Amino acid sequence: MLRTSRLLLNIIFFLQVLLLFLFFFEDRLSLPVWLQVAGRLHPALLHLPIAGVVFGVVLEFTQGQFKKKAFEKFSLNVLVLTSLSASITALMGVFLAQQGDYGADALTQHKNSGIVLSFLCYFLALTRFYAKRRDILYYGLGIVTAGTVVFAGHSGSELTHGIDFVLQPLRKSSPTEDANASAFQQVVYPILERKCTSCHNRTKAKGRLIMTSLEDLIKGGKNGKEWVPGKPAESRMIQYIHLPVSDDDHMPPDGKPQLTKQEIKLLESWIAAGADVEKKLTDLPEPDSFRILGTASLATMYIVQREEKTYPFSGADEESIKEMNTPFCSVFPLYQNSPALQADFFIRESFQSSSLERLKEVKEQLVVLNLSKMPVTDNDLRVIGTFDNLEKLNLNFTKIDGSGLLSLSSLRHLESLSLAGTSVTTQSLGPLLTMPSLRELFVWNTQVSEEDKVKLSATYPNVTIITTVFKDDQILRLSKPLLVNEGVLKKGDSVHLRHSMPGVTIRYTLDGINPDSIASSTYEQPFSLTTTSTLKAIACRQGWYCSEMLETTCFVEGLKPKGAHLMTPPDKAYPGEGDKSLTDGRKGFIEDFKEPSWLGYQNNPLAAAFEFDEGTPEKHSIVISYGKNTGSHIFPPEAVEVWAGRNSQDAKLIKSVKVTQPVAYDTPQISALLIPLPAAKHTYFKVVVKPVSKLPTWHSAKGKKGWVFVDEVFFY
Amino acid sequence: MDNEFIKNRMHVTRRHFLGKMSLGLGSVALGSLLIPDLFSGKDDTPFPVGLPHFAPKAKRIIYLFQNGAPSQLESFDYKPLLSKMRGEELPASIRMGQRLTGMTSGQKNFPLVGSHFKFQQYGKSGAWVSELFPNTAKIVDELCFIKSMHTEAINHDPALTFMQTGAQQGNRPSMGAWLSYGLGSENKNLPAFCVLLSRGRGNGQGVYSKLWTNGFLDSIHQGVQFSSSEERVLYLKDPNGRDREDSRKMLDHLAQLNELNYQEFGDPEIQTRIQQYEMAYRMQTAVPELTDLAQEPDHIIKMYGADCLTPGTYASNCLLARKLSEAGVRFVQLYHQGWDQHGNMVGEMPLQAQDVDRATAALIMDLKQRGLLDETLVIWGGEFGRTNYCQGDMSNNNYGRDHHPRCYTIWMAGGGVKPGIAYGESDEFGYNIIRDPVHVNDFHATVLHLMGLNHEQLNFKHLGRRYRLTDVAGKVVKGILA
Repeated sequence: MLRTSRLLLNIIFFLQVLLLFLFFFEDRLSLPVWLQVAGRLHPALLHLPIAGVVFGVVLEFTQGQFKKKAFEKFSLNVLVLTSLSASITALMGVFLAQQGDYGADALTQHKNSGIVLSFLCYFLALTRFYAKRRDILYYGLGIVTAGTVVFAGHSGSELTHGIDFVLQPLRKSSPTEDANASAFQQVVYPILERKCTSCHNRTKAKGRLIMTSLEDLIKGGKNGKEWVPGKPAESRMIQYIHLPVSDDDHMPPDGKPQLTKQEIKLLESWIAAGADVEKKLTDLPEPDSFRILGTASLATMYIVQREEKTYPFSGADEESIKEMNTPFCSVFPLYQNSPALQADFFIRESFQSSSLERLKEVKEQLVVLNLSKMPVTDNDLRVIGTFDNLEKLNLNFTKIDGSGLLSLSSLRHLESLSLAGTSVTTQSLGPLLTMPSLRELFVWNTQVSEEDKVKLSATYPNVTIITTVFKDDQILRLSKPLLVNEGVLKKGDSVHLRHSMPGVTIRYTLDGINPDSIASSTYEQPFSLTTTSTLKAIACRQGWYCSEMLETTCFVEGLKPKGAHLMTPPDKAYPGEGDKSLTDGRKGFIEDFKEPSWLGYQNNPLAAAFEFDEGTPEKHSIVISYGKNTGSHIFPPEAVEVWAGRNSQDAKLIKSVKVTQPVAYDTPQISALLIPLPAAKHTYFKVVVKPVSKLPTWHSAKGKKGWVFVDEVFFY
Repeated sequence: MDNEFIKNRMHVTRRHFLGKMSLGLGSVALGSLLIPDLFSGKDDTPFPVGLPHFAPKAKRIIYLFQNGAPSQLESFDYKPLLSKMRGEELPASIRMGQRLTGMTSGQKNFPLVGSHFKFQQYGKSGAWVSELFPNTAKIVDELCFIKSMHTEAINHDPALTFMQTGAQQGNRPSMGAWLSYGLGSENKNLPAFCVLLSRGRGNGQGVYSKLWTNGFLDSIHQGVQFSSSEERVLYLKDPNGRDREDSRKMLDHLAQLNELNYQEFGDPEIQTRIQQYEMAYRMQTAVPELTDLAQEPDHIIKMYGADCLTPGTYASNCLLARKLSEAGVRFVQLYHQGWDQHGNMVGEMPLQAQDVDRATAALIMDLKQRGLLDETLVIWGGEFGRTNYCQGDMSNNNYGRDHHPRCYTIWMAGGGVKPGIAYGESDEFGYNIIRDPVHVNDFHATVLHLMGLNHEQLNFKHLGRRYRLTDVAGKVVKGILA
């Protein structure tokens, strides 16, 4: 083992001498091609000595954990091998330096440090080999070697990756968003910086082209200028970019980040536009493609660094801000770490003038104040007038009449003032319009007329005055009136109609005739009904077309039978609640036929028996409430039979009616079928409701059996 | 809000504590790998939740979701070539292997069909709008059209879920929940995230509560669905026989009991519940004030159309959305159903457009005249686009269109977006994007950006990793920022 080490040390000695020789006579040599290849392996091999030195240091710290003898041998080997690799690496580095286009200063630094390193490693190995003991010399040498590795490695990395490669991410790159910056600075140079300057800089200067300064860039590289203004196709830079990637001259070289299509387009259009380095984007003619592309790329290239507004004041005390916050008043910074505050007030009933006084503590910081819909009076404006830094004030729909607006004229920073929906007058706006910073004034829905606005705008062009923005002279249709009642009307209940718009007249009929806006009865107050009726109602109002018609059936509670019984079973899917379904007073919903108020029949008719106590009044009519949804095959009954008598044996057919069927698809609704009866004191009734046996020819399922759905039967 | 978050953090369980200890050093090292800014002097403490990261352009959002995917070709993306080539086959070079839905995968040919409805340019911006949207046409100079939206899903449910939550599977927090989480509530008397539903007369697709879920965020961030009935928030009124005084007492005692429970278990959901009871109590005052539409002046009713007085219509939801937004509700989410025109485009599209056109335009202008448009972001659009070829039978006066994820149009207006522009462009066939594509993730990133939030920093740790609305993608679309 010792012998091998000695042999290796001798080889290293030879290499070191060679290295020295090359160092001094470098200029006089020309390298054979195979050595050039060897030189190019330098970037790969250099990791060996680095790792070796680091490993050596680690070993020194862990020696206690190994058997002494084995450890000594092992660590010597590590040192020798490290030294060998350092020598070879340094040699190759010298070869590589011969062929590269590296900037002189950085290269010399790296070369020298590399050579020094290889000597240090050699001495270290020698010390270790001959002086068996570790002494100050050994450790000192070791520390210097470790330091040199760091230095040489770092200077090498700067050669390949560019100056300051390591710390770059920590530095904030500040893209030029300066409005005065030239288009070149804003959009062209950043591309070069991203994709080119890592090789074309002062230290590396491949092809003797330096792109990091404008002067050098314009001068071009060893082949001359990089572009011909106005002619991208003839410009070397563009030509190289368009060469196939496999071509040696293709730029950026294979393996380096390539230009994107967008970047190439930008460079081309810049050259086409004259390759000017001073003009701003806005100096270029508008249809110019460089201007268009450049503007677009500006928008996407940089993370928008918002110009955060700076305020001359510092933030308010956090505790006092917290105290000001109640459910009815929110006070908060505009954004994180901003000293500026916004205050909003909510819930009219909770607002008092003293609420504003409480803000005095932050009067310096208050920038936005929203008092929309609060009962603020002109008196309160005096307090607001002391909030010196206010920029935005919302007084929409407050109780001010404008007499106190003068107090606001002291607000030197106020930019936006909303007074919509207040009683301010044109005259009262006077002191506001001369305020230095006011930009917007919202006076929609006030006494300020369009004409006033035009006049004021002409006198005070700096302020945008906003009155009505949506003018529309079209006459529109009103919405339908609403029936407030739900379900069956009980004794004493009345029909309650409503329309949300004030000033609307509701006209209605109960006889099935369509109401009109002149002759039909006007709805004044809720009215009661004696029997189930069809209610038709419209809403009318000056300046509007009458609404579409509300058509609905108002069901009224009838005589209650003592018993009801289904004689035929409903379809299994729609069983309702069995016997009691038809007399429980619960109406179904038209949206949901599965709901238990409904009984559904398709294959057989509905037949139900109802029994009354002796002595109940005569029944003069029956109402059958049924649902209709033509699209879902749910039709009015085809025919209805009413049987009556004293009991089931005695019952006779007293009435049979056919029902008018729809002639096209129509809207689903619940309707009432009113069947007048010949007056008689029957105590037993049987009702048979037959579903449509064949759906009509216009229906998509023509010929199939229809459904009938009934939720309630009433007797009167 | 902050306070509660900090309090929650203080309640460290034994398991958490041990877990934290053992991970300690490793996570610092890993953290510095994963968080590039860790050593650049920036504050590495988790974001204080409840405030924008930087000065926001918009403070509130009203999202007019057109559920079912309205056809871009019959609304805002004018493609005359399709009418010229009517009946001709969609070239394979344009389709480029685009997958089909199950509804047209059996179709033998794909005949191109142009819009049945006429287009015209409007406003200073010269935006193309179809005759179905006469009122939207009047306000185009306020709108920022994005004509290059694209998504990954091809069917309603995943696409809708993707658009709303940033993931195609359910149970991730919805946009509104993220914003509530990130920005908190401006008005403590109302939920920060409200949901309003309406249904048009066209072929509809369902909406589900998973679209406005809080997902893994605290349930206080869940969207509160308003009813379409006269009583817009159900069960808000005190029951008969109990007055407000009683309610107050009941809530105070309940809060004490819940607080005891919280002391014992430390479950943040208990705190959420206490807060929700309190908010519901205050909503008893706040909500009637908002939902009483009769207080609106005549010209406002006229602006939105008389339908706005009928609860549950799109118009009434738009009006309510304005009132909620005006009252500081962070995110109002509307869904209008019925835009799924696989067939009968000619019959249904006008009805759908009629439902939304007037009220939408009114909403924009109403916000504007109150000085609120510049701080409110309004978004209009569906979950994907529709094909340029006909689905099913093409007759002389009717046709249908299938789902098309590769390209569609939405618009935004107000807070922080450039008015009067069209961003991105589709090809002459209206099938592929040829300029400035905007992916759904990009859309989300942009919306968050407008609200003053960095989409990469608004995150929540769940099941061992941090989740974002944009998950691992998304770029802010700078081109539309004002």
